[in-house]
Amino acid sequence: MFEKSLTDLIQGLRANKRNEAEYIRRSLEEVQGEVQQSDMHCKSAAVDKLNYLHMLGYDMNWASFNVVEVMASPRFGEKRAGYLAATQSFHQETDVLMLTTNLIRKDLASANAMEVSVALDGLAQIATAELAADLFDDALAVLDHSRPYIRKKAVVCLYRLALKHPEGLHALVPQLKERLDDPDPSVVSAAVSVVCELARTNPHNYLPLAPKLYHLLTTLTNNWILIKIVNLFASLTPIEPRLARKLHGPLSRLVCTTNAMSLLYECVHTAIVGDVIGVPLPVADSIGREIDFAELCAQKLELFYESRDHNLRYVGLVTLARLQEKRPELVAGHYETVLACLDDPDLSIRMRALDVVSGMATRRTLVATVKRLMSQLVLSNAAALQPAAPGGVLGPGQQADACVGLPQTDASGTSLVSAQGALVPSNKAGAAGPDAADNPEYRLAVVEAIVGMCSRQSYENMTDFEWYVATLADLVYTAGVDVDRLLSERLLDVTVRVRQVRRFSTQMSRRLLSDSRLVSRAAAGGANAMTLAAAAYILGEYCSLLPADPDDAALLLPANLAAFTDEQQATFVQASMKTYTNWLRDVAGYWSADIWEQVRSVTSSIQRTLSQALFPSEGASSGDALEAGPDAAGDVAESAARLPLQVSSRLRQFAEAIEVVSVATSNPGDSAPPVCAELHSLFTVYELNPVSAAAQGKVPVPEGLELDSFIGIPIPDTSLKVIPPPPPQQQQPRSTAAAESSHTRGSRYSKGTGEHMERRDREGGPFYLRDDAHGGPRARGGPPDVDDIPVVALELGSEPKSEQPRPHKERKSKKHRKRKPRSPSPAPAAVDIAGDEDMPGIPTEAQPGTGPAAL
Amino acid sequence: MIKAVLIFNQLGKPRLVKFYEPISTPAQQEILREIHSLVAKRADTLCNFLEGTRSIGGTDTRIVYRHYATLYFVFVADRSESELGVLDLIQLFVESLDKVFENVCELDLIFHFDEVHYILAEVVSAGMVIETSLSEIGRAIDEAKRQAKPESDHARMGLSSLRRGFVQ
Repeated sequence: MFEKSLTDLIQGLRANKRNEAEYIRRSLEEVQGEVQQSDMHCKSAAVDKLNYLHMLGYDMNWASFNVVEVMASPRFGEKRAGYLAATQSFHQETDVLMLTTNLIRKDLASANAMEVSVALDGLAQIATAELAADLFDDALAVLDHSRPYIRKKAVVCLYRLALKHPEGLHALVPQLKERLDDPDPSVVSAAVSVVCELARTNPHNYLPLAPKLYHLLTTLTNNWILIKIVNLFASLTPIEPRLARKLHGPLSRLVCTTNAMSLLYECVHTAIVGDVIGVPLPVADSIGREIDFAELCAQKLELFYESRDHNLRYVGLVTLARLQEKRPELVAGHYETVLACLDDPDLSIRMRALDVVSGMATRRTLVATVKRLMSQLVLSNAAALQPAAPGGVLGPGQQADACVGLPQTDASGTSLVSAQGALVPSNKAGAAGPDAADNPEYRLAVVEAIVGMCSRQSYENMTDFEWYVATLADLVYTAGVDVDRLLSERLLDVTVRVRQVRRFSTQMSRRLLSDSRLVSRAAAGGANAMTLAAAAYILGEYCSLLPADPDDAALLLPANLAAFTDEQQATFVQASMKTYTNWLRDVAGYWSADIWEQVRSVTSSIQRTLSQALFPSEGASSGDALEAGPDAAGDVAESAARLPLQVSSRLRQFAEAIEVVSVATSNPGDSAPPVCAELHSLFTVYELNPVSAAAQGKVPVPEGLELDSFIGIPIPDTSLKVIPPPPPQQQQPRSTAAAESSHTRGSRYSKGTGEHMERRDREGGPFYLRDDAHGGPRARGGPPDVDDIPVVALELGSEPKSEQPRPHKERKSKKHRKRKPRSPSPAPAAVDIAGDEDMPGIPTEAQPGTGPAAL
Repeated sequence: MIKAVLIFNQLGKPRLVKFYEPISTPAQQEILREIHSLVAKRADTLCNFLEGTRSIGGTDTRIVYRHYATLYFVFVADRSESELGVLDLIQLFVESLDKVFENVCELDLIFHFDEVHYILAEVVSAGMVIETSLSEIGRAIDEAKRQAKPESDHARMGLSSLRRGFVQ
């Protein structure tokens, strides 16, 4: 009689804020005793208390059995509390669940509707596969209950049971169909909800219900159900396109007449997603004018994204993005409005606006849009660099702690309803969070959008490539988030593809690499290492486009080179070698004594740098090691072994080349040693071009080569079967005379399969001795070796023959290129070389069918 | 479907935790904390939708919330629910609470947390919306309340409901 009630517990909790954990521990001990008592009232109160503590995160699984006892109470209030505790705390593994079958069955059959309702709610939540199988029929019987209140709950409960017990679906679906005709709107609503859920996972099975749903769509007036049905049709129309035509009438009527924004939104969304707007039927707008449905939707969408309500703006922009996919020309007109949404304080709205804006950029608006986005990055970046205001130092967590001591009752007593009685969501004054432009997620999205709209469709919208390269270089500084890979890829892509911008791009690269702060930050593990490596590659590859500069080579061998990744180091060293040889070639043209002096000094300075890179620990003293000639080679090898393989190999190549130059220029001469002029030609034999991802597929298949048929009869995968190892005596001769072995197997396999097996054996067999002179397979006409495949010689460098008679193929390949621009591969392009011809600088009208517009 | 309904105050203290999918108690608390940290820092001028984070169900999940006085009402739903519809639903739920508690405030929810569950069960059952009419919800609550009164005799209640069945 002296147990704490739930109210006492809650009051106690509020009074013991300082040592809450201790109070809860004591209460839990008391409860442990109370749930064991035979008095049901006491037990039920204890379960209630446990349930409250469960909400605060305390385990109550240990009391599961007592919960079941309370569920079995004859009094409704206690039974309900028991079911509530069960739905809150039971999970699929709770072992006492198997004790509840008969209890729930009894409650489902109860004459008291409220008990049936509680049982249905509870069962829907706690059902396991066994419970669902056992009680499915009982729940199905309730579906014919006289009260709609029970029927609607039964519909939902049966759906949850069918999820656990899929066999039940066969019985459920006809019943559901019947419930769609229920006289009570709530039951219809529940049935529609369930059909929506079922159709979402498997729309094909529920297409037969479409006529019934269509009927409901045209007759019902309850907005909630209409939203559900309209939403459902969005997932049905893609698999049954004829529905779109059917939906055109009711949807356009709803769009014109409804006052509920939520329904209007759902209708417009479904019309767009389900491609109902594509149906060539006119609709009458509010003043009776005939208008295209798509235009009507675009007009209605304006109501959303121009609204002052942030929620409407958000969904409006989401749907506008979908409309843009289908009818970009309808969205293009709203450029200014959408652009304004980019400055919205709400991050979610900005992100959606960004989606739309990046899709609507045209040749005319691109520069202005990018500038606007860039200014967001720059401005907020400046703000971020300022010292934080005193109030801003306290993180949200600390603020929360600081408030815990305050009496809460004041706040928690405030009515949720304002004085006028109207339910108005509260209005937190001001309290704008940090600027959305400082959010790293948003910044990343902005950079991606900028780069995306600039390079879309093979730079379709780009008019000024130098501006684009400059923008990329700006982004290196202003992005503020890790976009290193993206920027490096884009920088390489535009430089390699667009011949005219290479010179400018090389200048830009030189400028980036000259920024010692940027380089040292990248070396210190900061961002932009990849971009710098890309810049290094560009400077090395295209240095001949600029006046030769002896400092480039040193620029590309920064003191902190070792801090970059292996691959990046290799790129730097290779690029340095290219710029150095390029400069040598240049000065060889106007050789003089002064030049000779300069070559000597530059060469020896690079030599020092290289030896430092090769022998980092020994310092400059070992710089002579390189010059000491072959005797020192062993030391070089030893030291270089500590470096990553690709780096040391590049460094040693460079060192060797320098050594050659150093020897050749040891004496001043009237003319340059020939090696100076010739070294650079090592790097310019082939021009590097981007290779289409589909290029491999364009290689013509030689006559008579059948790629689709098996070489031999496919053998079953023997890896799982236990095959007795063949005796070594049999294997031994086979390894030396393979032809024999194919005879021995010939009885079981065809000749081809024998070869196949033999090859497998040769690759994996422990007894096989490699015999390179072995020519068996070729003699039998199989394709044993890559080198033996008769391939037609490709005309590299010249125009690809296979392309010209098939212009449609070329277009296809461009599509690929647009999607997956590849960084240049050293292999010369077999087919489909990206030249200047597909760049927008050349009018696309001149080449009908090949321009990006034709895509 | 609706995956969860949460009510918490500005400090993140839970006032109602209802998950319609089996989730362990620690995971529930984790989600509660995460949603609170996401929602509480948003100004009221921002929109009421958030995309779900990884632990809450990925981008297929929408967090729809409303802020009333000291409390946040949060519905976590998947794509099959209309965002604007759920927003209306939260309003309906709060109106139902207001009808039952008469000028509802946070203290009502604290001391009658079970009652809040029962009201919610009349609006959402097993993740599905079953009633959107305020009067129907009120009627069901009243009927359950009458039966749950401790002094009411179960047998008599049974009889009275039987009699009502005849009248209908």
